[in-house]
Amino acid sequence: MASRMTRIRGLIWLLPALVLLGVFVYYPIVENVRLSFYSWNAFSPKPVFVGFDNYATAASDPIFWRSLRNNIAYAVVSLVFQVGCSLCLAAVLEEFVHQRLRGILRVIYFIPAVISITVAGILFSFIYNPQFGLLNRLLGAVGLEQWQHSWLGERSTAIWSIIGMSQWQSIGYTAVLFVVAIQRIPRELYEAARVDGAGAVRQFFSVTIPMVREMTTLLIILTVAGAFLVFNEVMVMTAGGPSDSSQVLGTWLYRNAFLADDMGYASAIATVIFVLTFGFAILQIMIGRRRRVEM
Amino acid sequence: MSTRSRITALIAVSAAGALAACGAPGTAAKTTASANLTSSAATKSGTLTIVTKFADPKYAPYFEKVAADYESANSGVKVDLQQVGDQPYKDKIRVLSASKQLPDIYFSWAGDFANKFVRAGLAADLTSVMGPDTEWGKSFSPAALKAFEYDGKSYGVPINLDAKYMAYNTAIFSKVGVAKPANLEDLIAACGKFKSAGYTPIAFGNQYGWPAIHYITQLNAMDVPQATRDADYNPATGAFTDAGYAAALDQFKQISEACFDSGSNGLSHETAQANFLAGKAAMHFLESVEFSVLTAKGGAPAELADNWDFFRLPPTASAAGDKGALTGAPDGFMVNSGSKNAALAVDFLKFMTSKANGAEMTKSIGWLSSVQGTATAENSFPQLEAALKDISSANSFAIWLDTVTNADVANAYLSGVQGILDGSQSPADVMKSVQDAAAKAKKSVS
Repeated sequence: MASRMTRIRGLIWLLPALVLLGVFVYYPIVENVRLSFYSWNAFSPKPVFVGFDNYATAASDPIFWRSLRNNIAYAVVSLVFQVGCSLCLAAVLEEFVHQRLRGILRVIYFIPAVISITVAGILFSFIYNPQFGLLNRLLGAVGLEQWQHSWLGERSTAIWSIIGMSQWQSIGYTAVLFVVAIQRIPRELYEAARVDGAGAVRQFFSVTIPMVREMTTLLIILTVAGAFLVFNEVMVMTAGGPSDSSQVLGTWLYRNAFLADDMGYASAIATVIFVLTFGFAILQIMIGRRRRVEM
Repeated sequence: MSTRSRITALIAVSAAGALAACGAPGTAAKTTASANLTSSAATKSGTLTIVTKFADPKYAPYFEKVAADYESANSGVKVDLQQVGDQPYKDKIRVLSASKQLPDIYFSWAGDFANKFVRAGLAADLTSVMGPDTEWGKSFSPAALKAFEYDGKSYGVPINLDAKYMAYNTAIFSKVGVAKPANLEDLIAACGKFKSAGYTPIAFGNQYGWPAIHYITQLNAMDVPQATRDADYNPATGAFTDAGYAAALDQFKQISEACFDSGSNGLSHETAQANFLAGKAAMHFLESVEFSVLTAKGGAPAELADNWDFFRLPPTASAAGDKGALTGAPDGFMVNSGSKNAALAVDFLKFMTSKANGAEMTKSIGWLSSVQGTATAENSFPQLEAALKDISSANSFAIWLDTVTNADVANAYLSGVQGILDGSQSPADVMKSVQDAAAKAKKSVS
């Protein structure tokens, strides 16, 4: 009886959190999937059921596919820089940099992460400005005029310029997380590796990487999910242009929902984003667990 | 029942409650536009809700002052004024529309943006109080009033007059020896002379697409007969097969090659404007509501503030459309057809568009009011007065292409002109996209 009362009390304490979670997380997901089967907009008196038409529209929409490719590019580059490079950066900071300088460098690397994404976007719009931007001036100063571009105004460079800004902003944040993970590795493991004759590179691959696997898994999930949810930086810097070349799924969703008044199609795009990020997270967690068992 | 089952049931019930509370989108009863629109002093009470897109610190104080003045004049009325930015407004008003929570008064651009509210039954028919034959209606510029008509009825209250002009630096024109161009061919020829003299012929930044759209709006108006444009800009009948549309894009391509700096897709309109203000460019295509930034009071350097004038973007000698059309449109306010305060809303809008408030608008924020006789030498400056005269002489308003057409067509144009600028698309490619978008729009409307 007492145990039953304890369970009921526990449920009562959980209730507010469950209600909030249900209303603000799960209900919108379910509702979004439902709405993706309708044709509707903010002005239509009644949604019309259209089955899988919105998904068929996505399949035949070249800008949807371009957006998806841009998101994938975003994810791949982010994995390389925000996971791979930041892990190397964290290892170098911890192993080779003097303790006093280490703290200063950590702060310097972390500063971009505390700048609002909108401010960072505007800042880089100036850096990329074709007339007076720092980047073109720098290229000109070192005799690389042929590399100068209207970075945000050309189809071939716009999305890569945005991705570049995003790496500048996030690499310090993930590096600091890796630093925390590295600091938790028992020093005895490194000492044992050194006794066995392992150099710095071997220690990195044989001790550091395996011991920060959980953090790596977490950051991979966050980075890939973040790459598929990217929105602000694209809106601020190009709004998806020129000629929709820098559209990502988030901005294409927004344009269809709030500018083209096609909420049903926008809901279908949102569902695709959800399935992709959710599926990837599940896959990554499963792989992470299996590797942990192998250890 | 196990603990897990109970938790599952709890989540299900919570979700069901949320579903019931929130309801489906757009399923509320469609309201009609039969509200009583006349109020007396005795009925002036309650809270009036207003949403505008004028959060810009340059413009917001004027609207706050009008609201405060109205409250002072009507002690029983409280005005709940919410002002958001241009882009956030587009999101906010759609969310409010979908949830049937529109304010009593809301902002609207002229064209298809306003027509969507009308077609959805969300805008009150104001013909009885502000039609062209009414006292209030006669106080407006006829072209401004017409911009908010739909099927011969008035649905929006125009608050300002805005038109697109080519501002030019008279000192640079004199120095280079160029006269005001009479046609597009002259303009393009003049650009070569400015380039040779070391000036950017036309300061142009197209980072977000709309500056190029304003050129296309004017060129379409001059190259395509009005009846054809009217049919094409209507999503139910749009086809965009007239040769004038492709000609307009060709002309834009010629202007871009001869007159713009390269890389204009990567420059913002404001950056380009700064080049014009700094005397580095001979011309700049801008709206009359922006004229004040070219004045000393608006912060322009004296070298420019004392040496600028404007002209309309000229047509080609052989243009087949309406050569007297002028790109522009008034901004306006609509009244929620479901508002219980419709009469009070109309009364407030009458107050806002009184001659005194119209004159104050021109004086304080440099906008031309849609109310006739409000711009004078005392509250404006010579170029603004000249613009008012020119607007009055325009054959018709060519409403901004990105608000007058269906959103899909507008997007095809926005994307296409950026492609023309960076050389990745030809005018023919753009027209193909526009025609496809028009076909899609026609299908969705039908």
